[in-house]
Amino acid sequence: MKIGIYFCNCGSNIAEKISSSTVAEAAGSFPEQPYVKNVDFICSEEGKLQFEGSLKSEQPDRVVVAACSPRDHEATFRRCLTNAGMNPYLMQIVNIREQIAWVTEDPAVATEKAIAAIRGAVCRVRLQQPLEKKQLEVCPDALVIGAGPAGMKAALSLAEAGRSVVLVERTPFIGGLPVRFEDLFPALECAPCMLEPLMGELLHGEHPGKIELITMAELMEVTGFYGNFIAKIRCRPRHVSLHECIGCGECIEACPATTMNEFNSNASERKAIDFAFTGVLPNAPFLMENVCVRSHGVECRACKDACPMGEDVVNLEEAEMVVERTIGSIIIATGAGLYDASRVAGLGMGTLPDVYDAMQFERMLSSTGPTGGEILTAAGNSPSSVAIIHCVGSLDEDHKPYCSGICCQYAFKFNHLISSKLPDVSITHYYRELVMPGKEAHTLLRHAAANEKSTLKRYAAISDLAVTCADGGTLQVCAQGENSAADMVILCPAVVPAEGGDALSALLDVSCDQFGFFRELHGRTDAAQSVIKGIYLAGACQEPMDIRSAMLEGMGAVGHTLAGLQPGRTIEIEPITAEVDENHCAGCRLCLSVCPYHAITFNTEQNSSHVNAILCHGCGTCVAACPAGAITGHHFTNEQIMAEIEGVLQ
Amino acid sequence: MMTEEVFEPKIIGFLCNWCSYAGADKAGGMQASYPPNVKVIRVMCSGRVDPQFVLSAFEKGADGVIILACHPGDCHYKEGNCRALQRHGMLNLMLEQLGIEKERCRLDYVSAGEGEKFSRVIGETVETVRRLGPLLLASE
Repeated sequence: MKIGIYFCNCGSNIAEKISSSTVAEAAGSFPEQPYVKNVDFICSEEGKLQFEGSLKSEQPDRVVVAACSPRDHEATFRRCLTNAGMNPYLMQIVNIREQIAWVTEDPAVATEKAIAAIRGAVCRVRLQQPLEKKQLEVCPDALVIGAGPAGMKAALSLAEAGRSVVLVERTPFIGGLPVRFEDLFPALECAPCMLEPLMGELLHGEHPGKIELITMAELMEVTGFYGNFIAKIRCRPRHVSLHECIGCGECIEACPATTMNEFNSNASERKAIDFAFTGVLPNAPFLMENVCVRSHGVECRACKDACPMGEDVVNLEEAEMVVERTIGSIIIATGAGLYDASRVAGLGMGTLPDVYDAMQFERMLSSTGPTGGEILTAAGNSPSSVAIIHCVGSLDEDHKPYCSGICCQYAFKFNHLISSKLPDVSITHYYRELVMPGKEAHTLLRHAAANEKSTLKRYAAISDLAVTCADGGTLQVCAQGENSAADMVILCPAVVPAEGGDALSALLDVSCDQFGFFRELHGRTDAAQSVIKGIYLAGACQEPMDIRSAMLEGMGAVGHTLAGLQPGRTIEIEPITAEVDENHCAGCRLCLSVCPYHAITFNTEQNSSHVNAILCHGCGTCVAACPAGAITGHHFTNEQIMAEIEGVLQ
Repeated sequence: MMTEEVFEPKIIGFLCNWCSYAGADKAGGMQASYPPNVKVIRVMCSGRVDPQFVLSAFEKGADGVIILACHPGDCHYKEGNCRALQRHGMLNLMLEQLGIEKERCRLDYVSAGEGEKFSRVIGETVETVRRLGPLLLASE
């Protein structure tokens, strides 16, 4: 076997400490009899040409490059091998600059250390095998879970890029949480006005054929892997055809059954067949089966008969349906919700009238909400004093230790909106910490501070606060021993992951953090990727965030999708992966438990594990774990590593 | 008068590619010398370090072994360093049975930014193994 050693002087960086002639002399005594070439700067344009030229004329079987760290130029030198017609994995780099020349005082000692390292590399490289990147056909289309700001933005952008998108939404409508709000921080922009163009574009825009919206639906099962997922989606019956309904509401008038409307925080009634709230998109009601009188055996078809669009719009017999779609990647955009404020003791949530959480108050402010936008107490009066309690369950080790980041901003938005609707109301903010990041939010704080009727009070712990109500009288907020009357109390609870995250996490094998938010591949460098290849994260499902960030996150996930999967192009699979020898696998399945990427599956028929090379990241943990030695870590095999150990120790 | 020759131990260092190998490169960038006794074997993850590599290193003449991993929670492969830690615990028991002092096999964490820590850990390890003296295996 012909082995070539290329020794880079790196100017004086290496040459000044390590004697190339002594190295060449020592190499001459290696059993492999490698040839040694000296290059001045092997990474320079000239050096690379010299290297490639020499590879072409010498035609070695294996190559050792003694130069700088492989973290600098491994890819560069692999390309040189490719250019010279060699398999790029037949090379081993010895880091004689960062790890020897620069850190060893005595040149003789440095030279000796370099010779040992080069001997190890020669022993190792002999056993290295040519490896090939594999190519795989992929489906460029995507599944987006959740039609809130992040999911809508992602779906639209993908459609613009010509990709087909399946957009699955759990509720009967799109727009997520903010579509239920009237005004948004920081600029008090009208939420429906801001979102409607986006929603309209999604439903009837230029790329309607590209987006398949499935409302009232959930992911049921996903099989396959990056580039080729198959998703099963369970669709609950709406009983109203989205394509044919014109949203006139005749069926609603006719419906005899009523219930409380969860989309108005149960503060108003709705019919069994009704809109979630006025103005929702898609503009079609949905029938709540459990509320409909038919569920009690009453033969009723009032809604169906009332429909002016014919027999086929309302379908009382519609049943649950499961659809199957093939996609290449998945974007999770399931959003967030609010922590149940009744779990924070002493604040009266759920027990005292006129104590509302932020979502209930948003609905009260909304012109499509239960009071039509009027701020009214349960008794129907305008309040003369309002208390807004920040950090309810946030920054609190007993509840959620993190700051939810957005609450102060909407709390001061509330201040602004209350004082513009009811200028005489006095408003007291109770806060633990004030967090108003960014370039715009400060205006809301300044406005509240300038409002003579506003007071800001800081508390140390939520247990220092108590909301009480004596004998049906006015609410009292007791803060650090001092009582203040309040006709209405608004709580700003911690932002928590939306319901259903656990099930989705289990279904997709995408892990969640201790708070139930989806875990990023890396919190800073890969925050839009989940730990599973091809499954991306967008919006508040990964941490509390505002609409701006959620939309940007949506675009981040789109970036990954577009960059990773392109129509007509295959994906390359890195060859440095693990592979199970099925004949030697004992079937203990230890490898399945140590693989961080769920890349290993078990075939019960063959009684053998199998590594999916697409999902494998090549860490080699399973290789080290396999008691049968049945797993090979390509390019880092046991034999290669053992040979290197033996070589450096000779 | 004869001066006693200082024992220069041979040590194998398993460095994970993403943190500790980068930490070693960082130490290089700082150009501060440390003892030359550690021969580095690069692996992608400390989780790749098979206990038989360590045993083989001792068998082939190493007086000490050091496994350097990413800090807990920082592993490039999420939890490979936890596996390394588990295996190190197991190795300690095995080494004891073989009559090899467990101090000869150290596990530590070095991040990509911790050049200084890398030099310090190498220095300490060399000192520890030097104090223990050459490894004499029963078969020798």
